[in-house]
Amino acid sequence: MKKKTVGKTRHVVAWMNKAEYEHVLEYLFSKEPALQKHALHRISAWKGRFGQSTPVAVDSTADLVRCQVLDSTGQLEANDLVLLYGMALVRFVNLITERQQKRVARPLRRLAGNINIPEWVVNLRHDLTHRRLPSLKWCRKGCGFVLDWLHQEYWSRQMGSQLTEDWNSSSEEEDEEEFAKRHEEEQLRRQKEIEAHKKVRELLISYEREQFQTYEELAKQRGVWPDASADLSWILTQIKHFATEARDVLIDVLMQDGFLIPTAEQLESLDIDPSEDSVDMFAPCLPQVFLHFWLPCLKVLNSSIFINLILDKLFAELSNEPSSHRTYYIASWISEILLCNSKSELKAHKRLKISKERIFMNRLQFPWQNLISTCVNAPCPATPFLLRQILSDMDKPLPHDAQQNLLRLCSIYTQGYHENTSPGPSDPTQPVYTLQNLQDRLKSNTHSSNHAPRSVQAPPTEDLQEKLSAETVQERNFALRGSAWSVCTDKVPWKQYPLGKVPGQPEDPSCLMVECYSTFTVFDQQVELDQLPQHHGNRSGPLQSRAGGADGPLWTHSDLSKLKAGLQLF
Amino acid sequence: MTMKVHKVSSWSQHEQRNTTKRHGKNKWRKKIHSLDSTLLSTSVGTANLEQLIPKREKPTLKLLKKLYTKPIPENSCAEERKVMATSVTFAHVHTNGGTELDDRNSSVDSQEWSEYAKCVLQNGMESSTLPKTNQMEEDGLHFHAHFDHTHNRAVLVMKQGQVLCFRGKCLLTCLYGHVEVLGFTIEEGQQPYPLFSPPSHCPLTITALGNNAPSGKNKKEGLLEAKAIVRKYLSSEPSKKLMSELDSDSCVVLLEPLDTPLTRFLTSFSELSEIFGLNSKELKSQAAVYNPVLSAVGVTALRGPCAQGLVMSRSYREAISSLLSAWAGEFDRCPIILVCGGKSSGKSTFNRHLINSLLNHTVSVEYLECDLGQTEFTPPGCLSLSTVTEPLLGPPFTHLRDPEHMVYYGQADCQADIDRYLESLKSIWRHVNGESPVIINTMGWIRGHGFQILVDLIRLFSVTHVVQLSFGNAPQCQLLTPDFLRTAHGWQTHPPTPPTLTEEPVSHLSIRSHVFLSVQSEFEGAGTSGEMQHQRSNELRDLALLSYFSKLQSPEPGPIRPLHCFIPYQVPHSAVAIGVTHCEVAPNNILYVSNASIVGLCCLSEKVVGREGPVVLSQTPICQCVGLGVLRGVDMARGLYFLVTPVSPSVLRHVNCLLLGEITLPKILLTKQHGVEGDLPYVTTDYSFEVQGAGKLHIYKGLARPGFIKSTN
Repeated sequence: MKKKTVGKTRHVVAWMNKAEYEHVLEYLFSKEPALQKHALHRISAWKGRFGQSTPVAVDSTADLVRCQVLDSTGQLEANDLVLLYGMALVRFVNLITERQQKRVARPLRRLAGNINIPEWVVNLRHDLTHRRLPSLKWCRKGCGFVLDWLHQEYWSRQMGSQLTEDWNSSSEEEDEEEFAKRHEEEQLRRQKEIEAHKKVRELLISYEREQFQTYEELAKQRGVWPDASADLSWILTQIKHFATEARDVLIDVLMQDGFLIPTAEQLESLDIDPSEDSVDMFAPCLPQVFLHFWLPCLKVLNSSIFINLILDKLFAELSNEPSSHRTYYIASWISEILLCNSKSELKAHKRLKISKERIFMNRLQFPWQNLISTCVNAPCPATPFLLRQILSDMDKPLPHDAQQNLLRLCSIYTQGYHENTSPGPSDPTQPVYTLQNLQDRLKSNTHSSNHAPRSVQAPPTEDLQEKLSAETVQERNFALRGSAWSVCTDKVPWKQYPLGKVPGQPEDPSCLMVECYSTFTVFDQQVELDQLPQHHGNRSGPLQSRAGGADGPLWTHSDLSKLKAGLQLF
Repeated sequence: MTMKVHKVSSWSQHEQRNTTKRHGKNKWRKKIHSLDSTLLSTSVGTANLEQLIPKREKPTLKLLKKLYTKPIPENSCAEERKVMATSVTFAHVHTNGGTELDDRNSSVDSQEWSEYAKCVLQNGMESSTLPKTNQMEEDGLHFHAHFDHTHNRAVLVMKQGQVLCFRGKCLLTCLYGHVEVLGFTIEEGQQPYPLFSPPSHCPLTITALGNNAPSGKNKKEGLLEAKAIVRKYLSSEPSKKLMSELDSDSCVVLLEPLDTPLTRFLTSFSELSEIFGLNSKELKSQAAVYNPVLSAVGVTALRGPCAQGLVMSRSYREAISSLLSAWAGEFDRCPIILVCGGKSSGKSTFNRHLINSLLNHTVSVEYLECDLGQTEFTPPGCLSLSTVTEPLLGPPFTHLRDPEHMVYYGQADCQADIDRYLESLKSIWRHVNGESPVIINTMGWIRGHGFQILVDLIRLFSVTHVVQLSFGNAPQCQLLTPDFLRTAHGWQTHPPTPPTLTEEPVSHLSIRSHVFLSVQSEFEGAGTSGEMQHQRSNELRDLALLSYFSKLQSPEPGPIRPLHCFIPYQVPHSAVAIGVTHCEVAPNNILYVSNASIVGLCCLSEKVVGREGPVVLSQTPICQCVGLGVLRGVDMARGLYFLVTPVSPSVLRHVNCLLLGEITLPKILLTKQHGVEGDLPYVTTDYSFEVQGAGKLHIYKGLARPGFIKSTN
């Protein structure tokens, strides 16, 4: 019925659900006064909810239907009815065309023509306001026509009935405020982003400066990297603080040349040979010094979300086919992160690592399936190397021969790897021979890609439910003693029930109808005399909920009279 | 066109009298005594419920400790006269006159800092727009602060006269000297005060007033004391730079990050994540001063034209100082001050500034809220009387508090039922105790009936001072001078029949007239409602409501709970009356309006006993409201309402009436309900605004007739 996809704006409306909307729609146009009246009463409640933002069409429909209902009672004279119909019609024509008015008033006739309201209806309005009152016959005819128009143009098109394909086009009628607001938010966001980028760059540069300084002193004394100095830890707190509010920006900047990807100049000042001959493109490995250079920074950032994001980003960069220098360092960082996460370090790498040299300590859960496909989608000379790392670390390893096949395919592909070859279809987890294979693979792909990020992003909902200790409940109930109020002690998981819903509440649009009520009159409070409360016991007829009103009116005569008796009050 | 403050000539005498009076103890003693007596008079029953509701706080240390005289009024008067002497034509230059006035100031004053300080005293922000040299500007913007990692707080040293105009929020404690924020002076030894400067309002400024305590300490002792204080509050040795900045005239303030249920709740919505950041204009003009220490405590300093802070025109300062002197004893009774003016003329800011200034001299101020849309202490739609004992250092939504007495009107304006509006106010007025100055805030509706209501309010409440704010060249409405009031007709009240010559003149004199103060607002954008994010009136109303419901969140840091996750209170349908204030709803559909809506929790003096089913009110009563709640659901089978409210159970027990109004739940509270599976009631993605008639009633205010098109843009 209702599909919530990202990008669709959630609007607050007066009806609880679509069923209530359709219920009212059906009754309004049922041509049966009792049902119409029922609908009018519901609309009175809607207007209470909507307040000043009641849709013009709902308002006009209610007014016009009210005229028909009053007409049907046969208790009003023709002249009374002309006045009633007249007001409803004038308001309809004025209000419905109002939206199209621009700065300069334009003739109603033209505006009405634009929205398929014939000239005679506009003329009827003109007669009503400026000339001799038209006859009741004309008024009824006008009302009938306009109600048909509203039925077609508003009621049956609203709530996603016929418009589904037009959903993505930007709605012009949406509140201008909303639109302006969104536009401004967008601008603000962009501005903020630019600011944030600048700030991050400044921060990271000051970090690098600090680290270079430390390194220079280190080089003189040949010591180990010291603990962070006061200045450095200050910068680190700043970076950490920043990472919580603008993680994406931070990652973006880190990925730029001169940060995680060192420039030749930077390498030289760290006494690392920047030439490509000195490195093994097929088994990338970060220079120790360079790793140490960044360790303090990465350590403050190591949250599972951050590591996952940076891994994604690294692969994404890799698939852009960067220069071989960039490729090497990106691959090195990927390898380093995988290494930190490996089940057994010895198996993964010969180098013995002490905890101090690791970006993070606890093993993280990577979306393994995803990782494999992103890895092979970003082919580079080091892909087999990285793939091997991933395969050996997976929680549920692939079958041995699948692993072997994958690695072999991968090597074949990347050995002859040239800068100009496009990545192409390269998810060779399983060979695609048949359509069935393809579908399976698609399914598994979409499944994993949909699943993985959600587990990271979904807000924790477990502890949202308020829990009151027995003492608190007792305390509160003690404070409430002697009154009709109490703390609800039903064992209800309230967090599952949105506002407006309680356990056991049916979906039936008539579920909140009141069968009997009493009226209470408070006398003018400014009169200082003692006043006695007055109660009017008042039983309105039980209003049954109709299962399907389409079969025509099912009210018995007594039902109707009870209904009318109850409704007179209003 | 020239609007003069009455009684300008008699100032100097008053001022002198005030200073002497202020040092007399009588006034303080009296105030404190009266507060105690109200505390003692606790009584039971619904009628006096209001005694139980507000958490009355003891008068603060501040006033008892106060030793020095506050120099603002004196200085400004002196300055005023000087300016007036040199040029009278400048007196009422509109909107941007401020800068021209400054030129004059700077030529009169020497450029030295000490002089600058005085200039700041009389007008904090204009001074920063002074055409000073760049060096001066840079110097003023360099904030010497040190961050203490162990305690997560910062110590800021400010030179005398230095101004910090900022966005953000923090908790400020004055450690040495004294500083001024929005008219309120904070000195060493006082409690910490929360400051909020969100982009919705004019930014706050902290102005260092230096240290003029009349102790016999010489400069050196003062300096040593200041240094000792700085060291005491920092766990590591502060940098030499910071210490070298310090001198005996400096101010030292401690800034701590501010994290309250309110800030946590607001920022938990992605739409409001930047609610304590900069606004788009400030971002565009790159007004932020990058200072890591300040940003670590949640403060972003501003520079350039965006760092204007509160722009006080001359008439503005004159009005404040004459109202202060009215309190200081010139009047034989407590001043009752009515503040009026058109929309966005600066009423609310003027009120805050006035309250803060008064709180420098008195323990409490009473505040009658007559503006339904932009309420100061309560959610919108409420009329209320509040006793203010704490300064207001932020916009309304940051300092919501329980009023003494409140009536729920239910709409953001009073046009629908002016009589109920006035009757409600009259019923609230009975709770004014008359021992403190009273400030009456009014609506921005000043035409037609709105103007008549103003006339009524002045008459009904025997107002002693009327402050009328206006902007631009022509006043927005007739000036409410005593003369005018002698013949003006209100909505309910009418002018007294003119006394015939034969009647004794006593009756004529018995009609007490008021002092009229006209204030010309000269801030940028006066009279135009805010168009930036969080500045629109409906957004501000939503913020006030969010702020109100943030009181449900636990004070300890923890997960932010959406409204639907709270365990509700329950009450039988037959035990509470229910009514709709703003439209006619068929009684058998009453639950369709009330479900998942905001209700005013009210107390009728009569007992409500229904037989079966809901008790529907036949008309809207005028009764006390103790707060708002959300009717989170209705149990039809057992006949129960479920209600979520921050109102305490001891007060809730008196509630027997639920009033529904046009004040609706902020949309994000309905559209963002985490943890719910399935569809959200009243929320849809299928509503199309492209369909004809789908929008709300649209009113074109400036619709021109084809024959009357002007050639302007």
